[in-house]
Amino acid sequence: MTTAASTLTTPRHRATGTIEAHGLSRRFGDLVAVDDVTLTVPAGRLTGFVGGNGAGKTTTMRMVMGLLAMDAGTVLWQGRPITDADRRTFGYMPEERGLYPKQKVVDQLVYLGQLSGMSAPAARAAIHDHLERFGLADRGGDRVEKLSLGNQQRVQIIAALMAEPAALILDEPFSGLDPSAVDSMADLLREHTARGVPVLFSSHQLDLVERLCDRLVVLARGTVVAEGAVEELRGRGPRRHRLVLDGDAGWVRGVRGLTVVDVDGPVALVEPDDEAAAQALLAEAVRRGPVREFARVVPPLSEIYREVTA
Amino acid sequence: MSPDPTTTDPVDRARAWTLVARREVTVKLTDRAFLIGTVLTLALISGFMVIQAVMEQRTHTYAVAATPADAAMAQDLHREVTSVDDKVRVTVDVVSDAGAAEAAVRSGSADVWLRRTGDGWLLSGKTSVPGDLESAAATVVRRQALATNAGTLGVSVGDLTRGAGLGTSVLDGSAQRNDFAHGMGFALAFLFYLSSLGFGVTLAQSVLEEKQSRIVEIIATKIPVRHLLAGKVLGNAAMALGQMALYVGIGLVGLTFTAYSRYLPGVSGALGWFLAFFLLGFLLIACAWAVAGALASRAEDLQQTSAPLTMLMIAIFFGALFLNGTALTVLSFVPPFSAVLMPIRVLGGQAGWWEPLIALGLLAVAAAWVVSVAERLYRRSLLQTQGRLTLKQAWSAPDLAETVAP
Repeated sequence: MTTAASTLTTPRHRATGTIEAHGLSRRFGDLVAVDDVTLTVPAGRLTGFVGGNGAGKTTTMRMVMGLLAMDAGTVLWQGRPITDADRRTFGYMPEERGLYPKQKVVDQLVYLGQLSGMSAPAARAAIHDHLERFGLADRGGDRVEKLSLGNQQRVQIIAALMAEPAALILDEPFSGLDPSAVDSMADLLREHTARGVPVLFSSHQLDLVERLCDRLVVLARGTVVAEGAVEELRGRGPRRHRLVLDGDAGWVRGVRGLTVVDVDGPVALVEPDDEAAAQALLAEAVRRGPVREFARVVPPLSEIYREVTA
Repeated sequence: MSPDPTTTDPVDRARAWTLVARREVTVKLTDRAFLIGTVLTLALISGFMVIQAVMEQRTHTYAVAATPADAAMAQDLHREVTSVDDKVRVTVDVVSDAGAAEAAVRSGSADVWLRRTGDGWLLSGKTSVPGDLESAAATVVRRQALATNAGTLGVSVGDLTRGAGLGTSVLDGSAQRNDFAHGMGFALAFLFYLSSLGFGVTLAQSVLEEKQSRIVEIIATKIPVRHLLAGKVLGNAAMALGQMALYVGIGLVGLTFTAYSRYLPGVSGALGWFLAFFLLGFLLIACAWAVAGALASRAEDLQQTSAPLTMLMIAIFFGALFLNGTALTVLSFVPPFSAVLMPIRVLGGQAGWWEPLIALGLLAVAAAWVVSVAERLYRRSLLQTQGRLTLKQAWSAPDLAETVAP
């Protein structure tokens, strides 16, 4: 908080916090869409939300945003139960994209900005900045329906981001964006996390999630099957190492304290039981001759994902 | 110390609905279909007034063919017909014989053929005899015959017709004024029908559009849903009332150019009542239309969810057209029929001064009730996107986190 005056003109410097969902459940008839989901979206962190179709991501996000009644569970914001007033400071992007097709881009965004509590001039300034960043500065006067789907999506993103939200809940924000828009979007999101905003976004694109996210929540069949920092999750897999020699690597089969996954000429793929066993293997290899490569092989996120959702 | 998020928000939340209402008004004012419809209706109203004024000015001149034997009566017609009906003129076309007279009518050079038959007179037209000519001529002929007969009998026409006059009068107002009130009531009922149906359907469609495109999810996370409903309904009500005032105003200006202008002082009070009833009736009906939109999930659903409302609009219109007597009196107090029927009774001079007050009070109570019920139905069905909802499903759907005060 700087001065009272600045908060009266624009809703900047909103107090951020951490979103915690505890035991969220929701059923539609006989179908249990979300079953006892507990997850944390820490302040200032980009949390990816992945899972297959029908895993319950959208249902969870709608419950967090208060758009869907929960059968059970609580959502906490800054450590206390969340209120509608809190949610009004959040930026939200629903899964199915929709704006008023016949209204002009800027008019529509000003309207949504005003509904978020911005003054019209403040909204216009924010919209101008965002349109510029997305390369849409010359399209502000066009009707939304005249824009391509990708550009409509950018307008929606602006709608969610322009009011300096206290938190961001984004359902599939990257789907349908071209690589340069993905980069602009990623930069924008990082700016928001840099000012302490918690960001939860769902995605099918695991490579993107791996590249962007600090944290990851994996949902399968309505339950959380993995949650944690991306590196931590990837590190959970076996400590697999790759060894490349000049000569044949067949001798590794005789080394104790490790499991040999594969040997192909001078290349061996092994899983040492612990760090000591790995070092012992390296020492032995160096004693026997030149070592071209010895490295930990970290499995890609997609492999982890397949493992936890299987 | 981080501030409480509820106080960092600079917008006065109680006025969120005004933002929605302003958008609704802007959308209407830039909607080509709405503008064209309004201009066309205005053209229709003023066109009707112009025709009315022209018709009043117009006189009809008829050519009457007669043989020399009947020419005297034809000349009497020519001289006296205008004193009977100031819109009728007669020219006389004396022809040689009956054959020539018939030929003149057949060829169209004469409108009618006047001749004596037995002890009376006959007016023959080609396919019809103009009504105004017939009634004016009948009077002239009767007058001439009376004078002739009186002369024959040696008495005066005054003696002969003493006590034979029959005039007409009506106890309530005058016959012409009542006709005028009836026509005006029909026009107002029609305008109400057009307006409530036109605005209602577009309101339901825009609610459905918001629901379908999910923009309502963005809006619902920013402002209470009841503000969205209030803004949409009040924005449309303002536009509908403005449009109606424009129609009525143009109609009144047009009427001053017609013979009906003498009735205007008598009906202006009734028109004030009509606008008051229109506003409340429209609010009631608009809320119902918004619910019809919220119950639907796709455009096809809207047909079904709005069918009862369409029927209601038609019922109100036909009620205004055909009801009279006790049925009219009773329904003129029953909302939403009262919105149209009571102003019509006021217009006809049939209602005591207290009757519109009571009907307006009842309509206000009904509107308040419908608004509160509609608010609940709208709020609970707006975010349900799994197909069409029934009223019962919407009523008992789980409420969202709307319990926390904004």
